[in-house]
Amino acid sequence: MVSRAFLRPRLWWRSRTIEDSLARALVDSQRALLSVTAEAAPMLALDLEMTGLDPGRDQILAIGVVPIDGGVIQLQDAESILVEIRGSVGQSAVIHGITDRELHNALPLAEAMNWLMQKMSGRILVAHHAPLDLAFIRANMNRSLGMSMPLLAIDTLAIERKRLLRVHEVIQEGSLRLGASRQRYGLPVYDAHNALTDALSCAELLLAQLAAIGGARTCIAELVTFCD
Amino acid sequence: MDASEIQPLTQFLRQLVPFDSLPEASLLASVRHLSVAYYSKSMGHVPLDESHPRLYIVRSGAFEVRDEEGELVDRLGEGDFFGFPSLLSGEAISNKVAILEDGLVYQLSPDMFNNLRQESRDFDRFFNRAFAKRLRHQGRFKAKELTTTSRISSLMTGSPLTIDCSHSIRQAAMMMRDARVSSLLVTDNHKLCGILTDRDLRNRVLAEGFDGTLPVHQAMTRNPVTIGAGALVFEAMLAMSERNIHHLPVLEGEMPVGVISSTDILRSQGSQPLMLIGEIERQKDVASLIGVSKKIPELLQSLISADARAEEIGRVLTSVTDALTRRLILLNQQILGQAPMAFCWLAFGSQGRQDQAACSDQDNGLLLAGEPDEHAAGYFEALSRAVCSGLDECGYRFCPGDIMAQNPKWRMSLERWQKVFEHWVKAPEPKALMHASIFFDMRPVFGPQSLFDALQDKVLAGTRDNDIFLAGMAGNSLTEAPPLGFFRKFVLERDGTEVKGIDLKHKGNALINDIARVYALSAGIKEVNTAKRIRALMELGVIGRKDALNLADAHEFIAHMRLANQGVQYRQGQEITNYLKPQQLSSLVRHQLRDAFKVVHDAQSGLRLKFMRSF
Repeated sequence: MVSRAFLRPRLWWRSRTIEDSLARALVDSQRALLSVTAEAAPMLALDLEMTGLDPGRDQILAIGVVPIDGGVIQLQDAESILVEIRGSVGQSAVIHGITDRELHNALPLAEAMNWLMQKMSGRILVAHHAPLDLAFIRANMNRSLGMSMPLLAIDTLAIERKRLLRVHEVIQEGSLRLGASRQRYGLPVYDAHNALTDALSCAELLLAQLAAIGGARTCIAELVTFCD
Repeated sequence: MDASEIQPLTQFLRQLVPFDSLPEASLLASVRHLSVAYYSKSMGHVPLDESHPRLYIVRSGAFEVRDEEGELVDRLGEGDFFGFPSLLSGEAISNKVAILEDGLVYQLSPDMFNNLRQESRDFDRFFNRAFAKRLRHQGRFKAKELTTTSRISSLMTGSPLTIDCSHSIRQAAMMMRDARVSSLLVTDNHKLCGILTDRDLRNRVLAEGFDGTLPVHQAMTRNPVTIGAGALVFEAMLAMSERNIHHLPVLEGEMPVGVISSTDILRSQGSQPLMLIGEIERQKDVASLIGVSKKIPELLQSLISADARAEEIGRVLTSVTDALTRRLILLNQQILGQAPMAFCWLAFGSQGRQDQAACSDQDNGLLLAGEPDEHAAGYFEALSRAVCSGLDECGYRFCPGDIMAQNPKWRMSLERWQKVFEHWVKAPEPKALMHASIFFDMRPVFGPQSLFDALQDKVLAGTRDNDIFLAGMAGNSLTEAPPLGFFRKFVLERDGTEVKGIDLKHKGNALINDIARVYALSAGIKEVNTAKRIRALMELGVIGRKDALNLADAHEFIAHMRLANQGVQYRQGQEITNYLKPQQLSSLVRHQLRDAFKVVHDAQSGLRLKFMRSF
């Protein structure tokens, strides 16, 4: 992790090294949002379904995105796609419920990554346990587009851990999970492990967290996790 | 986006009234058009954007709507809505929505909202301010097939057989034979002037040796008892059994539109209330009468479970009370002898209005044709004591306010009754007004109608357009307000305090009774039944058609809820009360009840405006 003070120059420097113009515009647009407040910043809540937890070996199966504008979740632009994989979903189907059969209409990885880049453009990512999602996205962009790019995201799990540590010395296992976190804010119970629903769950959780910590006026720079 | 993937929202809307009535495609489209915001208590109020009105749907948390004056308008929890008034009216947002508990709120754009209203009548009806229309269109509150509460028109056969009075008896008999009917209506210039039945042909024509060529009017029964086409079958049965006749011409205005015979009614079967009344009329002593009265709660339960209209249940139950009262008077007169002068037994309050329900108190009085001497006074005292205690033993408890014929205060000559009413009208003090609300709903249960008319005409002449008195009555009826809303498990008064249940009688029907009474007195309307009063007021143009229908619907709806609730209490062996616990209500009924109370609230405002503006 990079210290927050170095975030801006680091991103500026990294964007100079990116050849792809779309990717560079993306990094620049994120850099521009660092000084914007949370309530004003356009954001994109994101959730991935994967075949496993290792970004080096496992693959992305589904991506769900839910935009947040001016502190309001816009379902009209919420979307999810399935991603083509090599081989079979195997045992991971037990978790996400996506079977090989459903993947017939899936997008090839490169197309999926392009789609995601367009969605991310001009928005700050939001994810629950963001480092994992960011690592997968970076690994796959590397694989399909042949470039490594830095990514920023607000991690609702990190926010929740910080909040809980203020009250408890030890955090109980499972209490940082998406569902458990939502429960603490009185948010409704949603079925987990559908990329779109989880992205929405995560978006709602962020709004609740920002309301609770009075974070709506906090700068994005204070909230983000960096992955390079 | 595949909207079906946002399962949690689709699921939520699918079970939420009125979204549950939308076709699947519209439901998915509305999910797609939702936006989601989260409001924290620390924000104070929901930021309502004047330029972007929309429908807000509470998903979690708790909110409070207050109007410009800061009066609490509503409290909202999961599944409740706000923001729609300005969407519907196009008027600026005037209410403020305070955040009581952090919560998630879904928002729907005006375009989508309007699309849904156009697409689904149910959806439109729900949000439309003419919500009472929705209640009326709901089949649920129509009576099911039940003899007692079905209308005469449902039993009546086609167009009636009529004959002009100048035709011969023989022609009439031939007509009856050819049509295989037992009665014929006799008309004079198309208006009903008599009825000719098999019995007339036997008793008048054959037994008296009449010539068959004589005109039919010489053999017919003149000016027969008739009944209106809108009357209940049960009321026809009552009229026949009271007068021992078997045919009733049915009129619409003055035009005969049919005949109903006792056979028609027998065929329709299952005349429980009539059997009960028949039984009442057969009893030879007070003790056995009390025995019969034990069946009344059972009758009420069967009417409730048959889902009869509340208004009709009230009329049926009151008819039973009337029959009991009449029988008690007649039985006691057999002991005491004939009355020394004409008198009317007056029913007040709920019996007067014909809207009795379970466990009604007595409210009655005695109207005497003249000033009684000592002997007459003694007679009427004995009679009224006997009748009142008889009613008490039949389950109609003594009136806690002692408004009963056995109280000498409420046993008076016509002249003194007139003076008492005159005094109330002239000096509308609180106590007088309290009395007035009971006494002005009066109806004769026994005795000559003309005597009663002489009292009522005088009373109405005094109240009609009497501004000061009417303002007093209006003010008196505005001391209670309908409950505001049902917030989770609680009911809220308009001042925001919580109570344990909804008092459907005192916070609902009684208020509508009050409103109808003030208007009726102002317009000199003789009707005392609330539904009939409202109808008469509508026909006279005193209350606008829409408002009148809304009020009548709200009255029926709240009364229905009260009876249904009492049915549940009865079956569960609980004490019968007027309290409804909101946690038992479905989301739809909760909304409807809230709408009905809103109608009452609006009608109260109308009353205040009309009668109290100069005070």
